[in-house]
Amino acid sequence: MDDTRHGLGTTTGAQVTQPIVQLEGVAKTYGGAVALSRVDLTVHAGEFFTLLGPSGSGKTTTLRLIAGFERPDSGRILLDGQDVAALPPFERAVNTVFQDYALFPHLTLVENVAYGLRAKKMPKAEAHAQAEKALAAVQLANFAGRKPAQLSGGQRQRVALARAMVNRPRVLLLDEPLGALDLKLRHQMQQELKRLQNETGITFIYVTHDQDEALSMSDRIAVFAQGQIEQVGTAFDLYERPASAFVADFVGSSNILGNTLLRPEKLHLVPHAHAVPEGFEKRHGSVREIVYLGAITRAIVALEDGGTMQVMEANIVPVHGGLRFAPGDSVTVAWPRAASVIIGGSINKGEQ
Amino acid sequence: MNLKKALSAFGWRRPGMANAALLGLPALWFAGLYLAAIGALLITSFWTVDDLSGNLIPGFSLTNFQQLLATPVYTRIALRTVGIAAAVTITDVILAWPVAYAMIRLADQRLRAVMMAAVMVPLWSSYLARVYAWRVILAHNGLLNWALMEIGLPRAHIGYSNWAMWIVFSYLWLPFMILPVAASVERIPPSLLEASSDLGARGFATFRRVMLPMALPGMVAGAIFTFSLTLGDYVTPMLVGGRGSDFIGNVVYSNVGVTNNIPFAAAYAVLPLGVMAVFLLIARKLGAFDAL
Amino acid sequence: MRDGFKRKLARLALYVSASLPFAQGAAAAEPLQAIGQGEGVLNVVAWEGYAQDDWVKPFEAATGCMVHAKYAGSSDEMVALMRSGGGDQYDVVSASGDATLRLIYGHDVQPINMALIPAWKNFIPQLQSPAFNTVKGVHYGVSYEWGPNTLLYNTKVFPTAPTSWSVIYNPAYKGKITVPDNPIQIADAALYLSKKDPSLGITDPYELNQTQMDAVVMLLQAQSKLIKKYWALASDEIQLFTSGDAVVGAAWPYQTNTLQAAKVPVAETIPQEGATGWADTWMISAKAPHPNCAYEWINWVTTPKVQAEQAIYFGETPANTLACKEMDAQQPGSCEQYHANAPSSYFDQIKFWKTPRTDCGNGQHDCLDYAAWQREWQIIKG
Repeated sequence: MDDTRHGLGTTTGAQVTQPIVQLEGVAKTYGGAVALSRVDLTVHAGEFFTLLGPSGSGKTTTLRLIAGFERPDSGRILLDGQDVAALPPFERAVNTVFQDYALFPHLTLVENVAYGLRAKKMPKAEAHAQAEKALAAVQLANFAGRKPAQLSGGQRQRVALARAMVNRPRVLLLDEPLGALDLKLRHQMQQELKRLQNETGITFIYVTHDQDEALSMSDRIAVFAQGQIEQVGTAFDLYERPASAFVADFVGSSNILGNTLLRPEKLHLVPHAHAVPEGFEKRHGSVREIVYLGAITRAIVALEDGGTMQVMEANIVPVHGGLRFAPGDSVTVAWPRAASVIIGGSINKGEQ
Repeated sequence: MNLKKALSAFGWRRPGMANAALLGLPALWFAGLYLAAIGALLITSFWTVDDLSGNLIPGFSLTNFQQLLATPVYTRIALRTVGIAAAVTITDVILAWPVAYAMIRLADQRLRAVMMAAVMVPLWSSYLARVYAWRVILAHNGLLNWALMEIGLPRAHIGYSNWAMWIVFSYLWLPFMILPVAASVERIPPSLLEASSDLGARGFATFRRVMLPMALPGMVAGAIFTFSLTLGDYVTPMLVGGRGSDFIGNVVYSNVGVTNNIPFAAAYAVLPLGVMAVFLLIARKLGAFDAL
Repeated sequence: MRDGFKRKLARLALYVSASLPFAQGAAAAEPLQAIGQGEGVLNVVAWEGYAQDDWVKPFEAATGCMVHAKYAGSSDEMVALMRSGGGDQYDVVSASGDATLRLIYGHDVQPINMALIPAWKNFIPQLQSPAFNTVKGVHYGVSYEWGPNTLLYNTKVFPTAPTSWSVIYNPAYKGKITVPDNPIQIADAALYLSKKDPSLGITDPYELNQTQMDAVVMLLQAQSKLIKKYWALASDEIQLFTSGDAVVGAAWPYQTNTLQAAKVPVAETIPQEGATGWADTWMISAKAPHPNCAYEWINWVTTPKVQAEQAIYFGETPANTLACKEMDAQQPGSCEQYHANAPSSYFDQIKFWKTPRTDCGNGQHDCLDYAAWQREWQIIKG
């Protein structure tokens, strides 16, 4: 919730504007199937930057291109201003946290974490000392001698994090790192990741298809669809001023009327006969479905002139007597005129 | 129908009994035929044979073993057999890696199928035909020397020698190494190799520190094949070996099929059993059977 | 309790052994008194080239006995085959002189009624009742053909025939020599040494005491460093000479004939030291399941015609003296070429294979038996 408030201003990251990763016209196809078509993207130093999109949208491809696991068909990939598109992964100052963690099963945790340091010819004793410190930072100091198979999913996740971060990369790439964890652990790890990023100041590029995760953690988010970037912006930008119907629909729940976006929580439901105040717009219809969700109640309204609208109302007023409406009730959906947003109205697509 | 129901219910309540019923027959077969054969071998190794009539004299005598130990030639033959089996195994490991790696990591689906077929095809042809082919290749006026002379090199005198056996054995058993190594390479998640590269390890370091240790069970499984197949062979030494190329199997063969001194053959045949037992123990230590 | 277990174990071992191919030889049966109706089948153990279609097909047509032949590579293998499956797997065997006594003393073969073998009276005298198939006046087999173990050489390397066996012990031909993988090969070396070093006192190359054997083994061990390959099958040696891997070696005339037919430049000779040789005998298994066909077969192959065919095919000498005319009819000059009309002195210069025994034949009993020869041979080969 805090982060959302942070992002209210449109000048996010004003204090850190130095670009660290830049993609310029990067395209990638796999045997004729377009994975990425001419993408431009700039990530600033110190940012928590998220690549958000449904599966197959190109977000993971983008991450793999930055890591060096894939080579672009065309375009440039700049790391600290230097084109690294032709460099192999082991010559790039980035590290990756893999979706399946990719821990080496035949090595102990300390050997896993020291792997990158040893690869850079650091003496064993020193590498292991640093690895143990990194394990301590993720609360796994007592597990240094174990093998990955003896750990739980959350513990493995933390080892993967320590293994990447111990190398002090310029950029840390995270490929849906929390996807395999249960909800509670995921929330815990989200906070942990935020804390680590704040403490180390390392730039994070984070891939996820989970919009809640993206909104709650990121400084900025790039929304991917069909191999292209739909919009880059803060959580506030994406939610309140989506650049496309896709973004409007993908980020949060939405009612889209023509090129107008109405967020369900900004709508009100009143009995059919009720008068609507000045400055409000309205539509008539009947309740098709009503779901009580604790903090809110969600209603689906079938409009008289066709289509449906989703309304979410906070349960602020005590509801001793039960819900205000039942399926079949004739209702009016009303909203202040200022709540309606023209999609793509004032925000540029792509880069700010 | 009721009996069927009762049986399956019983099997469900007592899974141990159901398994015993299923495995009983193969277990009986194993114990009856396989172990009995080894038992007969061990017992016979303490018997002796009447020289002129060829009749067996049952009993308990250590004569055969004393003869084996007292005659240096049998130690030499045993060392030769084990030594060449080890050399063949190491050679096949080295040869199998590039093939297995290319097959799994570099080739696309179609090329992989073609390579797999190429590896398997020799196994469909006669073992003898393949050994004879090598005999022709390595002979004095054979293909190898013809090729050497064509490019202006002197002849190689490796036909009918331990070198020839090493080459032919390595060729014969290579598929038995490639297949398990390829299978274990295939089991390594690609993300591990990416992770290694991502952490700064170059190609060879990734091979040495990730692929090699992770494919160890496959290599050991392949080594069990190449080692034991070489250890027990006697046909290849007979066909492509030269002077001083006898294997344990040749001594056993000549004592069984030719000399009719079965007890002596049995005593000598106990040796490879022991060698394989040690080999399998080491293999188990290395985790070769973890994936079974 | 423990003893009971031991007894059971012993019974088990005996039971298993009974099912393996080494059951005990049976007591000799009475010889056949008359040849009756053929049984329709004949199982033969023979040397390669001894059951050729040329004479097998007419035999089958004439007698109705269908021949199933199993070739053996050595005398030792022949003995093993005749003892396999309790001794009733095969009817007849073309045993050489180094196997016959083993088969007789092992009760693996039955006495022969010579009255039923009409060709016998035409055999050369030395092969009518030779010591290697006739014991105490009882015939255990019918002689067949005989021949020398010759020195085979490449005529490009040896424009003139070598006169001594010394060439196969000569380091000048290192890596180009081949000899049979057969313990009886020790006798070849003993024969050579008996002439080269008379002080050893070797009078019979098959009767060696330990001192003599040590000298022979030393010679053969030195030779083994010169050997390209010890050949196990005649076809092995043929290939070695064809490919040029070997240029000189010990052989049978069969190899020479085959190589010359294939235009390989080789020839054979019997060097001045003389030669070992074989004299083969057809013997009938003590438990032969088809004895009438067995007698029919022996009569068939001792006829002058088959004797001649066999002699020319293999390059050896027939036992039946009437075969000489047949040979010249089939291939002019072959009677003389294969010594079928040679004087008995030629026969006497060949030291025929026989089974080495502890009984030296001269009153001494310190000779090495065949089992010892086999051990020494393994040591020589390494």
